Formats: sequence, structure tokens, C-alpha cells
Amino acid sequence: MRKTLLFPSILFLALFAACYWISAGSTPRRGAIVFCQDGQIHTLDPAKMTYLQDIRVAQALWEGLAQYAPHTLKPIPGQAKSWSISKNGLVYRFYLKPNARWSNGQPVTSRDFLFEWKRVLHPHTGSGYVFLYFHIAGAQKYFNSIAAHPHHHLPFSTVGIKAPNRHTLVVTLTHPCPYFLDLMAFPPFFPLDYRVMQHFRENEDGQTGYNPIWTRPPHLVTNGAYRLTDWRFHQFLELTPNPYYDQRSQVHCPLLKIVNYQDSTAAFLAYQSGVIDVVGFVPNSLGPALVRQEKAGLRHDVHVTPVFGTMFLDLNCQKGVLKNRLIREALDMAIDRRALVRHVVRMPTIPVHVLIPPNTIPGYRSPKGVGFNVAEARRLLAQAGYPGGRGMKPLRYLVVAGYPLMMPLAEAIGAMWQKNLGVRIHIISEEGKIFHEECLHGRFDVAGDGWYGDYPDPSTWLDLFLTGNPNNMSHYQSPMYDRLLQKASQQPSARARFHLMHQAEAFLVDQAFPAIPLFQVPDGMVYNRAKIGGIKPNTRLLTLLKYIHRR
Amino acid sequence: MLAFIFRRLAQSIVVLWIVYTCTFWLLMATPGDPFVGQKQPPPAVIAALKARYGLNDPWKAYLQYPVEVILHGDMGPTISYSNWSVAAVIKNSLPVSMALGALALLIAMWLGTAAGILGAVFRRRWPDHLITVGSLAAISIPNFILGSVLLIIFAVDTSLLPSGGWGTLQQLILPATTLALAYLAIVARLMRTSTMDVLHSDYIRTAKAKGNSSMRIISAHAAPNASLPVLAFLGPAAAGVLTGSFVVEKLFAVPGMGDVFVNACLDKDIPLVLGITMVYTVILILMNLLADIACAMADPRVAISG
Repeated sequence: MRKTLLFPSILFLALFAACYWISAGSTPRRGAIVFCQDGQIHTLDPAKMTYLQDIRVAQALWEGLAQYAPHTLKPIPGQAKSWSISKNGLVYRFYLKPNARWSNGQPVTSRDFLFEWKRVLHPHTGSGYVFLYFHIAGAQKYFNSIAAHPHHHLPFSTVGIKAPNRHTLVVTLTHPCPYFLDLMAFPPFFPLDYRVMQHFRENEDGQTGYNPIWTRPPHLVTNGAYRLTDWRFHQFLELTPNPYYDQRSQVHCPLLKIVNYQDSTAAFLAYQSGVIDVVGFVPNSLGPALVRQEKAGLRHDVHVTPVFGTMFLDLNCQKGVLKNRLIREALDMAIDRRALVRHVVRMPTIPVHVLIPPNTIPGYRSPKGVGFNVAEARRLLAQAGYPGGRGMKPLRYLVVAGYPLMMPLAEAIGAMWQKNLGVRIHIISEEGKIFHEECLHGRFDVAGDGWYGDYPDPSTWLDLFLTGNPNNMSHYQSPMYDRLLQKASQQPSARARFHLMHQAEAFLVDQAFPAIPLFQVPDGMVYNRAKIGGIKPNTRLLTLLKYIHRR
Repeated sequence: MLAFIFRRLAQSIVVLWIVYTCTFWLLMATPGDPFVGQKQPPPAVIAALKARYGLNDPWKAYLQYPVEVILHGDMGPTISYSNWSVAAVIKNSLPVSMALGALALLIAMWLGTAAGILGAVFRRRWPDHLITVGSLAAISIPNFILGSVLLIIFAVDTSLLPSGGWGTLQQLILPATTLALAYLAIVARLMRTSTMDVLHSDYIRTAKAKGNSSMRIISAHAAPNASLPVLAFLGPAAAGVLTGSFVVEKLFAVPGMGDVFVNACLDKDIPLVLGITMVYTVILILMNLLADIACAMADPRVAISG
């Protein structure tokens, strides 16, 4: 036996030792904090990121012209020491801090911003948030001209972004944008060290591209509270304080380890056994039980709050029976949101009849929306030609697989429609990529959807229903609605603007019904306040990791 | 022997090409667009991305990937994790799966062989019954149930071992045991049967007649020949275990390749799926080849010829 199994034994032992040695990371240092996110990091290129987990890490690594204040989340000076805004709200002048430094010690200059903003505006970069740049004069034209003629496009000088000197940036907008400063704290507007980026330049099919390795340590150079010292794929990211950061004294965590567990139950077990310090989300599957324990006083580390996001149903306004507005309204009226929240969601949150979570945007007043009214719903359905649901084919109700809440929600809503209206549904569960493709091509009647706001302004929701918006899953089209929002965007006064936006939302939830709002998304964090300080769950889900520390 | 190895390697190129072709066109035929996501970028951005990955012309992409691999040893960036190239992802996740798999194989091989011999020696007595029932249970219980039970006992109730993750040796114990048990059971059954056969052969009777102790008969005379089926089984088993088990990796939060592969399929990350499939194929071919060579070295009756 020795002879026979000796060879495989040596082979496997050697393989084990070698592979283990390669893959095992370092053991955490004292004072280190392990933060667990919901979902893998998709990219650390601030131009490209759209996922919350990426944005959180980017906000720890980089700093834009502005940054969020720890409690109010209002934009306060970041890499800019100050700014001035012209009276008409169109010209922003930013003055950079003279002592702002990259993590390699080089100064941060206006050229770094110019370089990155130009890169974002190139379709080849693949930025998912490029539309946020379209507030800037000439930006959309510049972007479209490259898309149409990659080799003979408009020069970048046609865009309203100028750098008169090393420490000044001047941005000219097409229309007043009250949340433009908020955007300056948002990753697509972060700078990149243009000198470092030159080392990674490469030619891709005649276009300038950058070898994606620049985002990985030791290459990545950032200007925020931390720098990236290690990144193992699907394992962890290691962040240590950036020694050149001008607000270094505010950073108290010597080592921040960002991890992700594929399975949220596994993540929670790791938290219970002390491997993880903060779970940056409340696992869907465990949420109701955790909230119950917190209420009963059995634990004090569950922090759940309704956030700046809504769950809603997209109704296909282009194809099928739901083209009829009356049926959409009837479906909206026949859902008892209160029962949904109490019996299906089972987390502390608010049922809504409007798209924008109420009271989340200071100064904005939500419309009322239609209430739960079965008799009126039945009447509308009969008026549409389907009394008692007779003659109506089952609705194709699309849900995305992998989100534990989506299926029970669909079943509960289906039961309500069946009971209240006699309308039946046929639930189809699809994987994410297929789900989105089906939605884009309009192969559904109803689709379970949700949206998180990106900046504190109603337009982050209302723009969804503009004709031709790539995220307009309802395929809703209304020239009147488009004009209303267009008019709102031209308003110099914030009050007049909010008033028009209020009208636009009221039009959606009282008359047009391209979507049925259900409830505000509940989310939060699990961590022990006695041990971890500096973070606070907030509606925007912005966890400012800069301030996190061990007590 | 060398001629045999060369011939097998030449055959494997054809195998690789067939696997690549099937995987590529199957991926093209499956629904889902890798470039759509929760927030839709403008159509111009999607068009630019498609062009960049060469996916607006499937035939071009089909021919381009092998060229990329030959020229750069890489298939280029993945779609869902654009900062990571296919080679970088594999370089990060394969060692994790391999370390876990190698440990599981060591456990399965040694404990399985020992259990098999015990079963054969104590045939029809309680150790044999225990091993037979135990191995039947280990084969029939799916590893997600087994893993969960181990998790509850050792991580949740008693906190003896960490529940998952990667980086320390303690974190390896639960996933490696879970992964090993089914293979251990198969090895034990193989070993039990073949040891019983060998124990009935003439040369064992001769060894007994010469007055050898039963310990020596088993360890020096019976076991080497009896373990040949185990050796043959180790090849394909190694290929399966070393490349990662999605279930075990997910359950114990092990950042290995099995987990990456399943997610790549769900994300329809075409280059990544192709890359991992090819690596898996190469490992399968290599392990089978190694098992054949090992068998020939261990047993002179097995002749390898070109």
C-alpha cells in the first residue's frame, strides 16, 4: 500500500501546501474592522460602478470635489476647499485644496478631474452613470458625437468643463441642477491621477483604453481616506489609511477589511462567531426574525430603517392587455399594501402609494396616490371590458430569481388580484440577466422591480418614466409627462421646480399608472454599537467608512 | 511510456477544441444579455462594450479567444468583474479550490482505505456493518445537508470551529470534511470489495502458510494490490474535487472556483465561463493521465502502450 498510494499522497499533500500558501491572506491586525457587504465588488473603476457595494468602497478610497457630511449627508467641501455658484445657478467654480494629495504623494490638480471626466464621457469607457454628466453644457452632444463618429467627433473643448489653472475648475450647466454638488461626492465624478493612468494606456480597436489592472494593488492610486493594499478576488479588500490624506486625523481605523459572503446566512453565522464586525445589510431571509428578537429585547445590534428605495411593479404599457390604463388602475387599487408589509415583508417599513419614498427629500411634497379600493377597482375592470376578470388571460408576472422576497410577494399579490378582481397571474422566475433582457424587450405584463435613489432629488425616480430612458422598464411613453419634466428642469427656483415635479409624480400615480408602488425598501446594518462607532444607518444607505472605528 | 503520453496529449488537443466549441455555441444559444443589469446605461455604452468584448460578431469572438490565449495566456477581461481578466480570476480562485480539494482527497484516500480494510478483515462483524451503513449514508446524504448539520453542531452550537471563510487552517476543517465524506465512502467500499477479493487469492494463502502475522499479510501483501481500484478512481475524483464544489464553497463561504463558475454562468460572463471550462477540461485530462501512469507504475500487469 505504501508504494501504491504514496505517489498520490505526496502529490495531494504538495498541492494542498502550495495552494494553501498561495491563497491564504494575512491575519488581521489589532483594531482592524471586518465589514461584510451584500454582493461582490464588481469594479473599482469609479467611472463604471453602479452597484452600492462598489460605491461604498469608492467613497472610502476616493474623494470628489465635495464629500457627504457624516450626519446630514449634505455636500461639504472635499478636495475643493470652496466653491462659488453663479446667480443663475449655471456656472460652478471649484477651488481645489493646495494640499490635496494622491496616495503616492503627488498633488491633486484640476487636470486629474479633467482627465477622468473626459474619460467618463467617452462611450468606450462604459460608464453606467454617464447620463448624470448631461447636466453639463455640451456633454450630451459630445458623447453622442463620439458614439456616432468615433474618429471625427466634436472636441472636448465644446463641453462646459474648463480648468483655468491647476487649482480651479469651472463647470457650466445647461440648466440649473440643485443637486449638482451632491453629484460631486458621487463616484462617477471622482478624479483619477492622470500621470499614473498614462502607464496603463493601451490601444483597443483604435480607441484609447486602459489596462484594467490599474484598479488593483499595488497600482491603484487614490486620494481619499484610505488606500487599497490588497484585493483578493471574491475574498476580501484591505484598506489602510492614506498617509497623504489631508484629513488624516479623522481616520481612526488602522485596517478595514471588506468581505462578502455569497450566502447571507453564512455571513450572519460569521458575524455571530465574531469573524465579522459589521454586516452592512440585513439579510432578507433572517430580517423578520432579527427584528422580532430586537423588539423583544433579546438583541441590540439590529438597525433597520426604511431607506431611499421603493419596491414597485412595472406594468407593460406597450404590449398586451395592460396597454389599457383602466386595467392598470384597477390592479393598483386592488392591492392591500398594509397586508403585504405586515404578512409578507414582516420588517419595519412603510406601505406606499407613491414612487418617491415620502419625506425623504427636504422640501418635496409627495402626491397622495390612489388608495386600496376593491369596489372601485372592480368597476374599472368591468368598464375596461373584463367584468370579474372574465375573458382576461392570466398575466405574465416576471420575477427575478435569487431575491428571497420576490416570489412570496408575487404569490400574495396574485392572490389579492384573484380574490378582489378575478384576475389570474402566471409567475415566471428568471435569472437576473434573462429577467432584464425580457423586461427590455417587453416580454411581460407585470414585473417585480425596485429602485434606489442616487441623489436627493425627485428626478432620480421621475426620469425613469421618460420616453426612451434605458431604465424605463414599463416602456411608458407620454409626451405630456416628458414636457412636464423638461419644464421642471429649466426652473431656476427650487420651489417652482419641486412643484412641477410634484405634478409629474401625481400624474404617474393618480392617472397614468405605469408602475404600482408597493412599499419603501427596509434595509440597514447589524453591528454592536458598543464596539463599533463612527457609522450610522441612514436612508441613503451611504456608509461613510472614513469615520468607522473600534470603540 | 513517453510515446503513450505524447499520444494522449495530442488527443487532448482535439478534446479541448471540441469542448471549447460546444461551450461557446451553447453560451451563444442561451438567453440573457451579459451587458444588461440593474441600472441600464445608454445604448451607445452597451454598443461600445459589446464591440470591446468582440461579441457583436460571434464568429470573430469564437476565433479570437484561442488566439488571445496563445498570444497572451489570457482571454482578456471578464464581463461582470471588468477589473479582472479571466486568467487573474482563475489564478485567484483555483488555488483555493485546489487546496480544499487536495485536503479532502487526502482525508478521503487515507481514512477510506483504512475503513475499507477494516471492513474486509472484520467481514460480517460489527465494524464491517458500521462501515457499510456509514458509507451508504455518506453517499446518499447530499453534502448541503451534511454540511449544514456539521455547521450547526461545530460552529453554531458549540463554537468549536469557525463557520466559514478562508485564511486559517481551522476554517478548512469543516468544508474539507464535508467535501471528503462522500469520496471517503466510495473509497471505503472500493477498498473493502477489492481487499476481500485479494484475501482469497493463492498468494495470501502462501503468505499465511509461511507463518506471516496477519498484520503483515494485510499491510505488505494484500493492501498494495487491493488499493489499485482506489488509485484508478482517484484520477476522475481529483478532477471533480480540485476544481471546486459549488455547494460546499457557498455553504462555507469559501472563495473558490466552483462558486465563481456558477455565478459566471448566471451572469452569462462568456469569457469567464469559457476560461473556467477549459481549465476544468485540462485538469480532467491531466488527472486521468496521471492516474493511468500511476496504475502502470504500481501494477506491472497494467501495460501502457502507444
